[in-house]
Amino acid sequence: MKEISLRVNGEERSAEIHEEMRLLDLLRDALHLTGTKEGCGEGECGACTVIMEGKTVNSCMVMAFQAEGKEIITIEGMATKDKLHPIQRAFLEKGAVQCGFCIPGMVLSAKVLLDENPIPTRDEIREGISGNLCRCTGYNKIVDAIETAAGYLNTGGDSNA
Amino acid sequence: MKKRGIGIGCGFYGTGYGNGFPDVSRARAKLETDGKIGIYVGATEVGQGAKTVLQQIAAEAMGVSIEDIKFYCESTENTPDAGTAAASRQTYNTGNAIKKACEALKEGLIYIAIDKLLLNSAVGIRVENKKVYLESYPQSAISFEDIAKALTEPLCFEESFTAGTTKMEEESGQGAPYWPYTFSVYGVEVEVDTQTGFVEVLKAVCAQDVGRAINPQLLEGQIDGGFSMALGYALMEDLRLTNGEIRNNRFSSYIIPTALDMPEVKKIIVEDPEVTGPYGAKGVGEPVMVAAAPAILNAIYNAVGVRMREIPVTPDRLLEALMEKE
Repeated sequence: MKEISLRVNGEERSAEIHEEMRLLDLLRDALHLTGTKEGCGEGECGACTVIMEGKTVNSCMVMAFQAEGKEIITIEGMATKDKLHPIQRAFLEKGAVQCGFCIPGMVLSAKVLLDENPIPTRDEIREGISGNLCRCTGYNKIVDAIETAAGYLNTGGDSNA
Repeated sequence: MKKRGIGIGCGFYGTGYGNGFPDVSRARAKLETDGKIGIYVGATEVGQGAKTVLQQIAAEAMGVSIEDIKFYCESTENTPDAGTAAASRQTYNTGNAIKKACEALKEGLIYIAIDKLLLNSAVGIRVENKKVYLESYPQSAISFEDIAKALTEPLCFEESFTAGTTKMEEESGQGAPYWPYTFSVYGVEVEVDTQTGFVEVLKAVCAQDVGRAINPQLLEGQIDGGFSMALGYALMEDLRLTNGEIRNNRFSSYIIPTALDMPEVKKIIVEDPEVTGPYGAKGVGEPVMVAAAPAILNAIYNAVGVRMREIPVTPDRLLEALMEKE
């Protein structure tokens, strides 16, 4: 066992970890941030995507100790208390959510994509979310939503990012 | 060399359990104490949009806005059985049960209004905007809320709907094993790389008969989702079942489409109301998938002249077929 501290969604957090604990377990079991989902557990599906130091990672493939001192954003860090993040709002408006299991990862991949490329083409959006598998939606309405979110963010939208 | 081709596939699909099986949905409609309409139904939301569509049907039936519907679903503790979220049956079957329950509740509200408003007949009474009133003299009106306050016992109606099908005759295969049917056509354009055997679907168009589009946005989502499942089915997804063992039991070997594999799908929603459906609506969940794989295989034939008879058409299978052709 080891105690580590890290920043999660802008807050200093500390947790007891053991050596084989994954970042996914740290977030879900130790910090009770269950918005991050476990899909395949082997880095193929992207359901467990979180943002670490500004980059998306599969939190099932990152060991908890590797997150020591790092800045992490999970889906819980996207909305403020009374306002959805523009990306989340666009997902709802465009009907981009069906069962919802892939959506936390999708939203976080979209955030990093739009942080790096504020005016992506539809092909660039597809590339940006190609590490996130979705069985329900056929992706097209997710692409629509990210395009719409880009518009919100670029017109000075109400980003809290 | 890269070769392009187009293909069309048509399909029809009977929704519901079929074959004379009792395909029953039950629903309760209740006047809540605040004058809102409570809908109690065992239907399950799995992302397909049942909760939204069923609330829309209830709101339409009661002449109220969707905010005035209190929707309780799934919990078996307080909802009647509406069957499974399967066989593309919730919109049609459970939608009908909800519509019937709401119509019974409306009638119940009218009889209370006759009593409270001292009217002599149900003729010309309208129920809308959360009130019951006489059309020819709208001042004679009572709100749902006032009716709820005056009630001594809850006003609640349970109705059921059973889809009408017959068992197929064993000898002749005749009968009406499903009702209703939905029809669809897919058109696709593919590009085949004759060197690698890789097939890319460039674009797709889907014309789907829906009876009545209760929620066009959700319908489009169903079409995109159905197409992407069919795309995987046609070109990628292979369990490799060997002696009862699934060999491709990981996403690294069982490949499903990513956003990069998925083309834009143009949707043509065909509304031809089904007389037995709630406001003419039919189920589309599974039907949207049926015709896409045949369309893709036809497009491959059009592109390279090879008739593939086994799916998925993985690059190795297509390369083998191309070599056999030469």
